[in-house]
Amino acid sequence: MTPGTQPATGTQERFDALMKRGELIESPSEMTPDYLKELKHTLIVSGDTELISAPAYYLAARKAPSVNAFMTGIAIIQDELAHAHIAYHILEELGESQEALIFKRDPKSFRYPYAFDVPLESWTELVVANAMYDQAGFCLLGDIHHHCSYGPWKRGLVKVMAEENFHLRNGRNWCKRISQAGGAAREELQRAVDWMFPLTVEWFGLPDSLKQHNTQLDYRLKGLTNDQLRQQWLATVVPFMESIGVAVPAHQVDSHYELEYPFPCTFDAGSKRWNFKDACTWDDVLARWRARGPRNAEMVALFQESFKTFKVPG
Amino acid sequence: MEYVRVHPQVREYEVFARKARAEALHLVGSVVAPDDDLARAYARATYDEERWVELVIVPKDALLTLWAPGEEGPDS
Ligand SMILES: [Fe+2]
Ligand SMILES: [Fe+2]
Repeated sequence: MTPGTQPATGTQERFDALMKRGELIESPSEMTPDYLKELKHTLIVSGDTELISAPAYYLAARKAPSVNAFMTGIAIIQDELAHAHIAYHILEELGESQEALIFKRDPKSFRYPYAFDVPLESWTELVVANAMYDQAGFCLLGDIHHHCSYGPWKRGLVKVMAEENFHLRNGRNWCKRISQAGGAAREELQRAVDWMFPLTVEWFGLPDSLKQHNTQLDYRLKGLTNDQLRQQWLATVVPFMESIGVAVPAHQVDSHYELEYPFPCTFDAGSKRWNFKDACTWDDVLARWRARGPRNAEMVALFQESFKTFKVPG
Repeated sequence: MEYVRVHPQVREYEVFARKARAEALHLVGSVVAPDDDLARAYARATYDEERWVELVIVPKDALLTLWAPGEEGPDS
């Protein structure tokens, strides 16, 4: 099939009936054009996030403290590439070109969370990413796995969920180990959590009070709202960090978690520092996200340039 | 030249697996490869999330579809 030509040929009536009965959509012949558009958008965000985590983690895995630790890092990176492949492969079956999506897009047009643009520069930062970023991925993909109305994606996520679980267990084990080591190692861990925690809180997007309408919820591409997912993440990460003696700027109040800083507030990516005294607006945050962060171009170049170098002339 | 995932030099294979003897085989994904040996290698490397008791691959074009979801079956 020629990329970009896969038509959504389902009738509105049949599509509505399937959605109403809570059934899975299995092919473009059962989709409306608007559903197809929304599904593709959701898949691109997912594929881009998985893909970019590979160079982001690789650049930090090189600082592994042992060969065994490095091998674990590489195993996680291989998983992430397979996760990206699952999303891009489904996009391909929906008429997109995998090659164009991965190798021919401008770095700034990739749709992954801003957090990955801030360099992970040590093994400690990598394992904190496994404990917090992979936990965010686990919450978001778990929700899609549970609720997604597109059959092929729902089934493809079984593998992804099993592996994400391994990533975050690895992250937690290492965080615990580093914390128990104490001294400078523990201080480095705390510093990493200090800048990475608020970045992951932000990952879940606009608060529900500002996001009035969510088409992804209408189409059952996801089941929980941004704030519900953010709370789910806080409910796992805050108790864990407290249990290993790492401070986080959030605490439980009744059945939910409250942040101890203005949300959102300003962040300086160069120094990896939040200014909790300087609250900002979501427009400011969206502008920072759109401009992308320090490592965006470098990470995309890491896989796009080797593609050009090794491409066999057709 | 426009990119196509499956072309005369490569085939698509569906990957089926099961975790326990009591389970039926089910579809876990797909790979694209120029020959059966490489397809085996790709499937083994990609679908390593479980200790499967059985893992098999089938060329996709060997599957004969009688009907697909949403199409007329004998009972509908
Ligand atoms: Fe992943
Ligand atoms: Fe992961």
